[in-house]
Amino acid sequence: MINILRRTVSLLLIATLLLGSLPVAAAPGTGLVGTEDALAANQTSTDRQQIREILARDDVQQQLLAQGVDPRDVKARVAALSDDEARQMAAQLEDLPAGASVVGALFAVFVILLVTDILGLTDVYPFTR
Amino acid sequence: MLGRYRHRANARLAGVLALCLYLLALSGCVTTPRLDPVTEQALPATALLDTVPFHGQRDYQCGPASLAMVLNASEVPVTVDALIPQVFLPGRDGSVQPEMLATVRRQGRVPYRLEGRLDALLTEIAAGHPVVVMQNLSLPAWPVWHYAVAIGYDLPSETLVLHSGLTPEQRTGFARFDATWARSDRWAFVALAPGELPAGSRPEPAIRAIAAFERVQGADTALPAWQALVERHPRAAMAWFALGNARHATSDTAEARDAFREAVTVDPDLAVAWLNLGLLLKDQGAFDASREALAQAASRPGRWQARAREALAEVP
Repeated sequence: MINILRRTVSLLLIATLLLGSLPVAAAPGTGLVGTEDALAANQTSTDRQQIREILARDDVQQQLLAQGVDPRDVKARVAALSDDEARQMAAQLEDLPAGASVVGALFAVFVILLVTDILGLTDVYPFTR
Repeated sequence: MLGRYRHRANARLAGVLALCLYLLALSGCVTTPRLDPVTEQALPATALLDTVPFHGQRDYQCGPASLAMVLNASEVPVTVDALIPQVFLPGRDGSVQPEMLATVRRQGRVPYRLEGRLDALLTEIAAGHPVVVMQNLSLPAWPVWHYAVAIGYDLPSETLVLHSGLTPEQRTGFARFDATWARSDRWAFVALAPGELPAGSRPEPAIRAIAAFERVQGADTALPAWQALVERHPRAAMAWFALGNARHATSDTAEARDAFREAVTVDPDLAVAWLNLGLLLKDQGAFDASREALAQAASRPGRWQARAREALAEVP
């Protein structure tokens, strides 16, 4: 009696475990090549590339913190970058132009810019127009 | 002796010539950029997107202010204050280009970079899309980097209308604008809802833009963008491939298979689409068809050949 019970229970257990594991095996994303992977131009192995991506993003995170970004905002900011942008930020954040439109520091070259403004080469002082 | 004098005279002449050339080059920047005649014919003479709200910048925050203007115009009700912690870099007193694009993605809109031509800029405005532009208002030696939003133009008077800094609807001549815009390599983008495309889109940059958006917002949100892209560019195999992936990720397997099939019909040499088609058919239990597709992938030399051969060997 107990033997039969044991056998049915174990059969049921095996069946449920098997069924439970099936959807995982057939879940979407298994094996298919992702769009960003397919777009990646260079031929290096994707593993190595992925490691480089992670390092680049880590690097950007450190740089953003160093630039005074709130630690609570940093992760989401890095996550929104594309791979190319993350690489660009990691490599040359210091050199990227930062849109700020500040004129104050330029007083020393006031005259030069005044002339170029009048010539229509620049657009620093609105009163020249 | 005579020879030396002649050399010196030559050097002086060369110097004067160089100076003249330099001045010419400088003034060359001021000439009004010439529009492509075909585009000029197609464009309405004037356009003004007067529904784009204006947000005056505070301190150094032309980046967040410009973003708020285009996002609001695209029906994202976000404020400048909410955008500042997403895009402003306190250490640089400004915002950098990659993060401008990234912030658009976080707000659920797809940023499409424009080709750096005045025609492209005007075409977008005429299509009702306000354009964020980056300018260097000053000279390269003392840069004043600035973001503004182009919302209108007037061809007869050759002026562009910009929401810029503290001035709504500022009018700037094409020549002056182009001189300042050229210093950022004519950097510009539009922020559009998934499903809308820029008026002058080429498939390759649009595919990259949507793929980057999909990574942040997921396949569900990106699906209408892919759909719109294949409708606009039915000959872009890569777009069909990407649509197949997005459909697969949203569990729409039959439709995904159709998209991969369309990709290889348009471009039979797109091995990666054969590969995904084969893998998908294998998952569905269509082993004969799967073998066929994987064999196509495996027969094409390149990045995916090894993987296709492996998969082919695993088909029961």
